[in-house]
Amino acid sequence: MTVIFQLNGEDCRFDGDPMTPLVDILRQERFLTGTKAVCREGFCGACTVHVDDEAVPSCLKPIGLVQGCAVTTIEGLSSGNQALHPLQANLEAADAVQCGMCFPGMVMSLSAFVRDNPHASRPEIKAAMVGNICRCTGYERIVDAVADRLEQARKAGQSVGGIHV
Amino acid sequence: MAPGVERSFTAASTLEEAMAARRQGAAVLAGGTWMMRDPRRGVDLPEAVVALHRIPALSKVEIEPDHVVIGAAVTHAVLGRALHAAGFEGLLTAAENAANPGIRRVATVGGNLCALDFAAADLPPALLVCEATVELETFEGPKLIGISDFLKDRHALLAEAIVTRIHLRRDLVASAHIRLPLRKAGDYPVAIVSLAVDKDKRCRIAVGSVEPVARRWTALEQAMAADSASAFDPERTAGLALEHNDFQGRDGKEAEGWYRRQVLAPLVKRGVAALLKTGRLV
Amino acid sequence: MSELSATVMNLPRRDAQDKLRGRTKYTNDRVRPDMLHAVLLRSTVAAGRIRKLDVSAALRCPGVRAVATGADAPGLYGIGIADHPLLAIDTIRYHGEPIAVVAAETEKQAREALAAIVLEVEPLAPVSTMAEALQPAARLVHEGWRGYEVITEGGARAGNIAWEAKSSRGDVDAAFARPDIRIVESSFTVGRQSHVPFEPRVAIGSWEDGRAHIQTSTQVPWTVRNVTGRVMQLAPGGVRVTVPPVGGGFGLKFDASIEPITALLARMTGRTVVLENTRQEEMATCLCRENAEIRIRSAVTAEGYIAGREAVVLMDCGAYGGEQVFLTTMTAHTLGGNYRVGATRLVSRAVYTNTPPNGAFRACNGVYNTFALERHTDEICDALGFDPMEFRKKNVLGDGDLGATGQVFEADVLGPMLDRMEALRASTGTSEAKADGRLYGIATTVGTWFVFVGPSAATVNLNADGSATLVTSGVEIGSGTMVQSLPQIVAGQLGLAPDQVIVREADTDAAGLDVGVGGGRTTVSIGAASIAACAEVREKLLRTAGEMLQTRPEDLVLRDGRVEITGRPGSGMSIPTVVAHAQATTGPITGSGAFTARNTPAMSGCAMGHFIDALDIPVFVVHEAEVAVDPDTGHVEVLAYRVVQDVGRALNPRAVMGQIQGGVVQGLGYALHEEVTITADGRIAQDDFETYRLPLAQDVIPVAADLYEGAPSMGPLGTKGAGEVPILAVGAAIGCAVARAIGKPVRQLPLTPPRVLRLLHEREPPPEFPHIAPGWASNTLG
Repeated sequence: MTVIFQLNGEDCRFDGDPMTPLVDILRQERFLTGTKAVCREGFCGACTVHVDDEAVPSCLKPIGLVQGCAVTTIEGLSSGNQALHPLQANLEAADAVQCGMCFPGMVMSLSAFVRDNPHASRPEIKAAMVGNICRCTGYERIVDAVADRLEQARKAGQSVGGIHV
Repeated sequence: MAPGVERSFTAASTLEEAMAARRQGAAVLAGGTWMMRDPRRGVDLPEAVVALHRIPALSKVEIEPDHVVIGAAVTHAVLGRALHAAGFEGLLTAAENAANPGIRRVATVGGNLCALDFAAADLPPALLVCEATVELETFEGPKLIGISDFLKDRHALLAEAIVTRIHLRRDLVASAHIRLPLRKAGDYPVAIVSLAVDKDKRCRIAVGSVEPVARRWTALEQAMAADSASAFDPERTAGLALEHNDFQGRDGKEAEGWYRRQVLAPLVKRGVAALLKTGRLV
Repeated sequence: MSELSATVMNLPRRDAQDKLRGRTKYTNDRVRPDMLHAVLLRSTVAAGRIRKLDVSAALRCPGVRAVATGADAPGLYGIGIADHPLLAIDTIRYHGEPIAVVAAETEKQAREALAAIVLEVEPLAPVSTMAEALQPAARLVHEGWRGYEVITEGGARAGNIAWEAKSSRGDVDAAFARPDIRIVESSFTVGRQSHVPFEPRVAIGSWEDGRAHIQTSTQVPWTVRNVTGRVMQLAPGGVRVTVPPVGGGFGLKFDASIEPITALLARMTGRTVVLENTRQEEMATCLCRENAEIRIRSAVTAEGYIAGREAVVLMDCGAYGGEQVFLTTMTAHTLGGNYRVGATRLVSRAVYTNTPPNGAFRACNGVYNTFALERHTDEICDALGFDPMEFRKKNVLGDGDLGATGQVFEADVLGPMLDRMEALRASTGTSEAKADGRLYGIATTVGTWFVFVGPSAATVNLNADGSATLVTSGVEIGSGTMVQSLPQIVAGQLGLAPDQVIVREADTDAAGLDVGVGGGRTTVSIGAASIAACAEVREKLLRTAGEMLQTRPEDLVLRDGRVEITGRPGSGMSIPTVVAHAQATTGPITGSGAFTARNTPAMSGCAMGHFIDALDIPVFVVHEAEVAVDPDTGHVEVLAYRVVQDVGRALNPRAVMGQIQGGVVQGLGYALHEEVTITADGRIAQDDFETYRLPLAQDVIPVAADLYEGAPSMGPLGTKGAGEVPILAVGAAIGCAVARAIGKPVRQLPLTPPRVLRLLHEREPPPEFPHIAPGWASNTLG
């Protein structure tokens, strides 16, 4: 089966098994290895990408369902020499990163969250992270960074996220 | 799948197209969050699938003055955003807390009802207390069936049908959905108690995850009806729950049957307290 | 500017941006289309004899380039004893054990070919538990144990006892016979903990110029190098190991496992071969923190003096000895730590079972022994009517006190740390109000750990552009040592900014021996080796500059990228000028340095079968937890968590705080959520993220921590490892707090809601160990 979709703003064509998980196409055919396949069952969130602006796990997304959709991966969020997405900048500033493997998925989940929830409280941020596991950091610095991002955005009076993907 | 055979994938635009594929033996693909884990369970993916997400009628939530219709392809997240109608607090809680946010953006109402081996699904108990009607499209045409009967017979029913819509009467005063995962969230609840109160102040209670399939707690409902003095007192209702606990808890890796049974009375207590908190029982 | 003030800073991580952008290439991101994919045939029984293994049909399957079995790599490896084949040879000892491996053009082809392997196994009744393994008539998991090569001498071994370590100091019998004491006895049992690194074990092997080259996600490049050479029986130096950034280790990757298989297949095919565990394989064969059984007895006077103590600790090593052989050593320093004790004897036994082998996990052995010791301490206090805090203050190890092996501890550390905990509590307040009608408990516990020193090497090349290149076998597993503490240390020594220090990732062809990243040792051991290397660089630099400036080298200092005359800021010349001059006259400026343990002595005759007789660098912690327990469901909520940690010297306080938060949360997982059980057929039941419950964001709270500086340390600049120890006393603090909340003894972890509810309803039987004899000496091999 042939599937046509947008990948990080460009047309992308896939020929093959329509039940192939999106994550395998990203990693094995497009070499977009920022998307991590960790549990492959939708629990860890490391494979999170945006499909039509929604943060979803790419491990459980058969490519057949992606026909005509726009997919953005971590590589598409701040590509080339572009500045970091503001949330990435907050995570860097909070010294949140350790092994780093959960972060692409964490960033994809939470960048959509801050875009949609400019007034989120700390408990709401944590509730939004239920599907993103981090084994290294104990989470609190990630929550700090998201809270910082929201506060800075509110202060700047701008639409949160800044970058619309 | 045999080598060289190309998998058939139909993204149906109409129900007729979906049924045609179904007649050819295609399995229904909803959000994919259950089926895509089949290889991990040692089960091969079906050789032919039909997806329903492009059928507009199945992707809508219609809220009318006296009823609500939920399309089978509606995701948990969409249901959670749409279902702001008094009385449906329980179903809303179920839609907003099942699994995790990423899954809720993908997993559908129909998929949740049709995952046959998923004892801990959140929507079945919540829909049981709504006394929902499930609309099926069968090879012989549309068919309506009560949620209780659907859950009991779904293995046979789904062999020749597609779940298309869920119909709810707006006859509830208040409802609640109490789920008990072992962490705060993120794992499947080991026990679920859904409660709803209708306009006659009769309380409906359903239990999920304790037995392989969710069911109404008829013994407790009758005991509550007979004990008019209880009048939604959490402690007293919990006492009745203890007395009328007729569940056979299923043993699982995460919890033994004893535990699932044991927590039911406390969950009922929380549920009644949540009902009271709506302020609509007076 | 002092060396220290030039080193201590909250340096950000240089790898953060790439990690946040998804650009970092971990080993499993380096799969290329021209690589072969290897897939393992694993055992589906826990014990058996291989009657037939025929791979010829698999070799004929489409895309298959090689199939290997145990016969292709017959060497055995291990720690202490060589008991472990790369692929099962004749005998199967655990469910999931690799038996054969297929390399094919695609993973799918390799998987399909597995089905063509003819394997006939005669199943044997598995030895599933330590209780079974220690029965006198138990079947031997390793029939040929006597014939194994002993790599480290000294441990007692017999049958299913892979290794036994003992410590004995003073007359314990006399202490227990005193008329003025009461005896308190406690038994504890703990399950396994799975590391769950996000990057599973994965390796990419190639065969280059007659040697193996393995890129792998490991903490121990030199172990991988040595084990690969050993099992493949290669000439010395026949293996090169390089290590990309590692996606989490936590001790799991402190041993070689699948790496040599890729080298074997690369040699057979001439191709580059990748082997990556699926998540299911990773969890089903995780070298977990071992399950353990502990019986501890103490003789305590009415005044609260611990006159005598004895304990038996059984550690399940699973099918092969692995790390547990080494870790038997640690009981003397963990269960034998924390408190001043008159006379003590401890025995620790690694026991073979037909279960997946266990391994090392952050503060290995210490986590459960600290739980047992601290709960036992609370049971002493309950039995004798002591206040737990006062009892601890009175008895914690202080200056001049003796450890279990007769080591003499220096300085009062734990005592002042307990005071600091009280001050920390006063500043944060307590959280009892948040219990909101649930059962509330608070507990303060202590822990003793150490820095695993041992050999490290470093080379520093000073470049003409003013940068320095640090070459070591260190690995960045996420803890930040390679991107924070090491560049800080080198920069501080050479008067550079940390971003001028290039840190080379591990390559066994480029850097000298290192025993690996673990045991909190990288900052200490590689840091000390780096300082030694910098000393040589400094000496050469100052000598050259002295000649150029006509000044004595001892009158020169390195500061802000310049060689300056002492006391005259801005004088002298830039480092690049000096380096350029040196390169033209005496040659490039390089330095090399080395470090190893100083082998602090134990008391003669106190330590038997130990790999480490005494601690070169003890590390102490004080942990305090406040919990609320729901009496209806058994759920434990952690309301507050406080840590006072002995860090020696915090080079990057912010990074240390990050390690504490992460380590405590892993400990909360161990104490409350993460459960591993073994099925009747010998499998790990929880082999996915649905059933193995890691803590999630809603399950954690911010940890309040106070870094205790100034305790003695032989580490460079007074440092101690800070990343390993934060997990040490979490099981202890939570276990003690829950016991106080529910008013029942807690003797088992994890405290999942069902277990807590069983405790509350008195449905949880206390652990009983019929296989631990009443007399201590009967539990030793003599």
